[in-house]
Amino acid sequence: MNSLPGHTILISPIGDSESELYSPISREVSRIYGYPTELMPLLQDLDFAFDAGRNQYYSTMILETLAIKAPSRALKTLAITHVDLFIPVLTHVYGEAQLGGKTCIISIYRLNEGLPAIDPQKVFLQRVVKEAIHELGHTFNLRHCPDHTCLMHYCRSERDVDQKSDDLCRHCKVLLEDELKKGQRGSHPPALRSDS
Amino acid sequence: MQSAKILIVDDELIMRESLAGWLERDGHEVEKTASGEEALEILKESRFDILLVDIKMEGMSGLDVLKQVKETDPDVEIVMITAYGSIATAIEAMRNGAYDYLLKPFEPDELGILIEKIIEHQAQIRENIFLRQQYKDRTRFESMIGQSRAMQEVFDLIGDIAPVDSTVLITGETGTGKELAAKAIHTNSPRSDGPFVSVNCGGIPEHLMESELFGHQKGAFTDAKTTKKGRLELAHGGTLFLDEIGEISMRMQIDLLRVLEDHIFYRVGGTQPIEMDFRVVAATNKNLEEAIKEGTFREDLYYRLNVISLRMPSLSERKEDIPLLAEHFLHRFSQETNKAVDLISRETMDEMMLYEWPGNVRELENAIERAVVVSKGRKLIPEDLPIFRPEYLTPPLDNTLLEVEKAHVSRILKENQWNVAKSAKILGIDRSTLYNKIKRHNIRKAS
Repeated sequence: MNSLPGHTILISPIGDSESELYSPISREVSRIYGYPTELMPLLQDLDFAFDAGRNQYYSTMILETLAIKAPSRALKTLAITHVDLFIPVLTHVYGEAQLGGKTCIISIYRLNEGLPAIDPQKVFLQRVVKEAIHELGHTFNLRHCPDHTCLMHYCRSERDVDQKSDDLCRHCKVLLEDELKKGQRGSHPPALRSDS
Repeated sequence: MQSAKILIVDDELIMRESLAGWLERDGHEVEKTASGEEALEILKESRFDILLVDIKMEGMSGLDVLKQVKETDPDVEIVMITAYGSIATAIEAMRNGAYDYLLKPFEPDELGILIEKIIEHQAQIRENIFLRQQYKDRTRFESMIGQSRAMQEVFDLIGDIAPVDSTVLITGETGTGKELAAKAIHTNSPRSDGPFVSVNCGGIPEHLMESELFGHQKGAFTDAKTTKKGRLELAHGGTLFLDEIGEISMRMQIDLLRVLEDHIFYRVGGTQPIEMDFRVVAATNKNLEEAIKEGTFREDLYYRLNVISLRMPSLSERKEDIPLLAEHFLHRFSQETNKAVDLISRETMDEMMLYEWPGNVRELENAIERAVVVSKGRKLIPEDLPIFRPEYLTPPLDNTLLEVEKAHVSRILKENQWNVAKSAKILGIDRSTLYNKIKRHNIRKAS
């Protein structure tokens, strides 16, 4: 295993998440961000982030803990959980990321709401993958995008998530490539994705 | 979504941080502070579009922050953040100018939609301010150009009178742009989709005028081989511009008066009454009140025409417009003649400002056209202007003594390269008197 710092994107399941999610997430993460992925659980449970008053888990606290636990070879860490997440000002979040930082998390807790009758599992899987790429995008300093089809678009409903594409828009791709070039100066270069 | 500059004021670190993180991911520029007092200090240094203020804070309350900020910067929008127990205070905050309030924890969408709404609201306000400012600062109105107070008043008046259907009488010296004003009235009126038909009453021989205005039936007179519509008919649905109305004969004045009263007329040789719908705008450089006294213009026609009057100022009344007009004509004629003349020397401009322009804007336009044609370089110099031909150097007879003095002092100073002692000697006055005259007339040395 390559031990160079910032060489890999770590996919870190928390608890008993569905294992069939990891392979499509891993494939799409590598396609979009150009880095290899590695599956590695870092947290066994999230009791430390549990808020009894809200019966939810405080995602910012989880991100901070993940950042401490992540090995140095991990350029970014994407955690996947099935519990309901919150940040103090909001009722809930689908995920959270450190903007321009190292860690992000997605929750599949609410992603199975409003699934279509036809092929619900496929749609659910697409939602999870899109959410994973979206939150990872924030760690690469990408902000929400006004383009409704872009993966970095902030969706107000599950339907909006289903309607956006599985790729970044041209503008976000440029911003990502700039960010990846910046990253090359301090760490192992990613295999830059070609759009041809 | 557009991004905004947002200041979060909340004494709870967790709230501050989570709100900031959320808004930053949405692309907003966010600053945060833990107290109202600090917020007011930050606001002294930078401007924000939106403030998110927690109502309950240690020290200065959110409500006090709201009141103080609104006093100094009423344009910044403030959203109060409140817990369930403080809704009454939040409502009080709304009465004190808060844009809205959010009950925490709020739905992720709630915040995003509210911020979007504020950004759109502020953009709308900015656009309205811009449009008002643009209207106020306008230097052009249709084809007319001018930033002087006199022209701004003309633009305002045209804006006011264009929508009403009353007859307008435009007065002003030759070359002041009376026809442009008439066109601007038409363009800004509800008749703008209709025709603008112009009749130069001074340029049509009297015996042709009747047929020109009213049209004629075939065979009405020897040359009437076909039936022809007159200008009144052609103006149906639009505006009839009667230029040089002061030149119209007494006989035509009677005919015209009848038409203006009921808009019904007969073609020459015709027997069927024709009713047309048009607005009349007339113009003259004559003093029609004097003409009435002299008995050459009908008083009843004058009052029929002069329902609304608009006076076009002479160029000497709006000398501050000369640079703007000169630049405009220079650009136009350099393009038309395909010559790379794009500058006017300071000296030329000074000379143009000193000249009285008896032929008004039309004379300036002709002068620049000629200057562009004869210019040897890319910059116009005084010698390019026809106004420096000897016949122009004699001051017009109607100049005041002060105007003649200013022109004379300027010329002596220029001829002596601004040697004040020498100029004063030639003028027969002492140096301090000359300095006073330079100051009084605001005479400037050309660069």
